Amino acid sequence: MKEIRETQKKYCSLALVTAIIIGFFLIIAGQSSLGKGLILGTLFSSINFALMGEVLPHKVGKSRGKTYLISLGSIVSRYVLLAVPIVLGIRFPDRFDLITVIIGIFMVQLVILWDYLKSAILLTHRKKI
Amino acid sequence: MINDVQTWVSVAAYTGAGLAMGLGAIGAAIGEGYTAAQANFAVSRNTKLSGDVFKSMLVGQAIAESASIFALVIAVLMLFYKMPDATMIKAASLLGAGFCMGFGAIGSGIGSGLPGGQACIGLARQPSIGNRLTTNMLIGSAVCQTPAIFSMVVALMLIFIDFSKAPLFPTWAAVIGAGLSTGLAAIGSGMGGGFAAGASCEGVARQPETAGPVTTTMLVGQAVAQTPSIFGLLISFVLMFKAFPESTTFAASAGLLAAGISTGFGGIGPGVGNGMAAEGAVRWVARSVENAGGLMRIMLVGQAVSQSTAIYAMVVSLCLIFVV
Repeated sequence: MKEIRETQKKYCSLALVTAIIIGFFLIIAGQSSLGKGLILGTLFSSINFALMGEVLPHKVGKSRGKTYLISLGSIVSRYVLLAVPIVLGIRFPDRFDLITVIIGIFMVQLVILWDYLKSAILLTHRKKI
Repeated sequence: MINDVQTWVSVAAYTGAGLAMGLGAIGAAIGEGYTAAQANFAVSRNTKLSGDVFKSMLVGQAIAESASIFALVIAVLMLFYKMPDATMIKAASLLGAGFCMGFGAIGSGIGSGLPGGQACIGLARQPSIGNRLTTNMLIGSAVCQTPAIFSMVVALMLIFIDFSKAPLFPTWAAVIGAGLSTGLAAIGSGMGGGFAAGASCEGVARQPETAGPVTTTMLVGQAVAQTPSIFGLLISFVLMFKAFPESTTFAASAGLLAAGISTGFGGIGPGVGNGMAAEGAVRWVARSVENAGGLMRIMLVGQAVSQSTAIYAMVVSLCLIFVV
């Protein structure tokens, strides 16, 4: 599925680049745990999104019951993965700040929302001109 | 078997974590499953667009599962965070946090899946407006997350606020009631918001030129559908921050627990009902945009009447807290 791969590549790379840039400035400013936390959370957020796309073709073309079962299995396994950075944030607060880890976990969603809202705003602006 | 306070705090934390994640996964799985099921329909309708439909489904599902990621964050915090104040009130508040986040994620998970599914069908119908449709879906899905965010805020407060100076009786009931109030009330609002957002995607796909009024009606309808969860939030705040005098009578504790249950359960129906009113209005604005003003008025009047039962529930909760 070319479209899925392109979508994953676009949002995962955008999320990681955003996190790395913000994280870099935070580390330079002496807030190392904040920067590392953000990058760690975003990394796992991107892996979660990539895995989500891999499961997609298995969901479509099945009965509704099977689709629900595959969805539930996919969610549970990906959430075990997403729990890893939060546990690291709790266990090693000096290295990874918990709050920025949590923000990082939502980075892909934030990037998706920002991307579409930006397009909608630009479209409205162009129409006015 | 060691039966000290620390053990009870651990038992409550583990139970709360299980409740938060277990209940939270229900909503997201149903919502994502619904989106996938509608994608089946969309692909069978227009097989050439399967790639675009998959893309829309992926983006929709990513937003739809945010509610259960909130639940995951709360569950992991409860499992691994070392609570500084090990008291029996803390045990009760952790249990309340688990109820709050678990129930609170159900509605938003289901609700967020509805626009995702409708966007997939709409894309098969109108491939040329894919971007506009996805934007509409994302806005609708994001608003559906609001009740889950309220639940997460209350759950975090229950985990981190130090209640140790308050008397155990009846504060244990107040903190569990606080969790139930926001958590249960969020179910209806999350689902209701999803009905409006789903109808909006359907409407935009049918009549792309009505996207403006359809989105406005959707946002107004969703805002009103969130009101029962705001009532739940209000009662939770009162239960968490009011200083209750010590009372070992069972009635005092039962009253505070019942206050949370009243607004919690009382908010489910109005949230769903308000969403149905918004869904109808949004659907018909798309088909008859010249009557958008009248349809919005009917929607708001219908929602106000549907809201009244949530207000009764809140009044009873306030009586239980302040009068009884």
